Amino acid sequence: MVANVKEVNAKEINVKRTSPEEKRELTFKDEICVGCGICEKICPVQAIELGPICAIVRNGAEESKISIDEDKCVLCGMCSSACPVDALEFDIDEKNIKEIEEYPKLIKNAEISDEECIYCKACETACPRDAITIARVLPERTKLVTGEIEIDKDTCISCGVCEEMCPADAITMEHHEPTSAEPTVSSDINVDKEKCVYCLICKKSCPVDAIKAVCRSCSYGEYDLNPEDTEIKGSSFIDEEACVDCGWCQEICPVDAAKVEKAFEGELIIDQETCQTCGACIDVCPCNVLSFPSPNASGDIDEKVKSDEKYCIYCGACENACPVEAIEVKRTDIRHTPTKSKSWDKKLESLKT
Amino acid sequence: MPKHIVSGLKYLTAVELIRDGFSQKDVAKILEMDRSTVSHYLNGRNLSWNSIEVAEIITNFCSKDFLTLTYALLNDAEKTRIIIKTCSKKTYQAKVEDSCIGCGLCADTCLMNAIILDDLKAEIDTEWCCGCLMCGDVCPTNSIKISEEENGS
Repeated sequence: MVANVKEVNAKEINVKRTSPEEKRELTFKDEICVGCGICEKICPVQAIELGPICAIVRNGAEESKISIDEDKCVLCGMCSSACPVDALEFDIDEKNIKEIEEYPKLIKNAEISDEECIYCKACETACPRDAITIARVLPERTKLVTGEIEIDKDTCISCGVCEEMCPADAITMEHHEPTSAEPTVSSDINVDKEKCVYCLICKKSCPVDAIKAVCRSCSYGEYDLNPEDTEIKGSSFIDEEACVDCGWCQEICPVDAAKVEKAFEGELIIDQETCQTCGACIDVCPCNVLSFPSPNASGDIDEKVKSDEKYCIYCGACENACPVEAIEVKRTDIRHTPTKSKSWDKKLESLKT
Repeated sequence: MPKHIVSGLKYLTAVELIRDGFSQKDVAKILEMDRSTVSHYLNGRNLSWNSIEVAEIITNFCSKDFLTLTYALLNDAEKTRIIIKTCSKKTYQAKVEDSCIGCGLCADTCLMNAIILDDLKAEIDTEWCCGCLMCGDVCPTNSIKISEEENGS
């Protein structure tokens, strides 16, 4: 008789069934799971149970967000197909069902075009899942401002004013205690031309006019600049495991370099009357859709919890977490690749509410 | 003695295979036996009639008992399939409903290897189906319907 084998490693769950014909394996990664409970809804044999999401997320309870009953699970893979964040992976003979055509997949994607990206890092800062890394190479500062500077060491009285004034810390001076053998305070003075931005503050502040300096940019303006020298180069990277396709990067990008495709469409309804402002939804939401509004004046609050559906993936985690049922998440459309299986199609459609 | 019952089952299978037109050489190959043993069997030697009688009773068990007992006695999936297919006289019709979720439990359970998955749906090869109904027992969505074919239909 074929039987399932379950292994639990920390909060990761693995259920396997091996027969001479094939090996089926379901892996649950707790750190990716957002607690939406879609797996629980779609499981045709009620083998998955969603845990107390609010307690787990807020208090770091020592349990997985879902539990899988290995005696009930038939390893069909539906939970994996429907998981909006890919926290459940399903492999048949070591091949992920996302690579097997007959299994339907949610159509969702996030990408940043390096052609358009100006590496401003707005998306990196905005991403609620810290999934984006922008690596940028800045232009060389010395190529952007050029000029000439020279200090007449015979005139210099080693007062140190230029060293103190220099905003770029480009001037260094070695001060010297006079002795009877060498009765002078004069010492060596150096300008680091890598650091100097030719602002001419040293020249203007020198009490003895010992500094001659000129800024080429000021003299010749923009024409003196080689456009290649001003270019910011870089690359963008989205960690697909962490990304939930929420759309923050797309909305915040100033040059439309980020494109996000979402699997679900729907509506997020918050009953402001019922809401007790506990903040569970805010803590649970993987997409930073929800926040407490900041009042302009005292007592000036029209909504208890604010939401912006631009960033919502309609996963339903907030609805699960709300202790007073003040939130309803409706899914009106689900985009997935086609399947010939009527039962799978029906089950996926059943996620619409 | 299990060994003798196995010999009885092999004897019955050998007789059927010869009747189906296989040569003694083929039969020896299929059942993984010596040609001389096949020849002895077919001439009624080296085998007690009692073993054959017991084997015959087993072939008339309900399909599930015939299959599981034979598998337990032989502990060899391939030979079990040959013996069951050759000795069972009934044929079956199989229908898989659209409620099938393609979990593959039936395919993993079927000792006759009669089930494959196609487009997330089980497909039953009635050529090999022995009517044991074990697939239906494990099906989580109750999607498998197997019925005995009427004689001549």
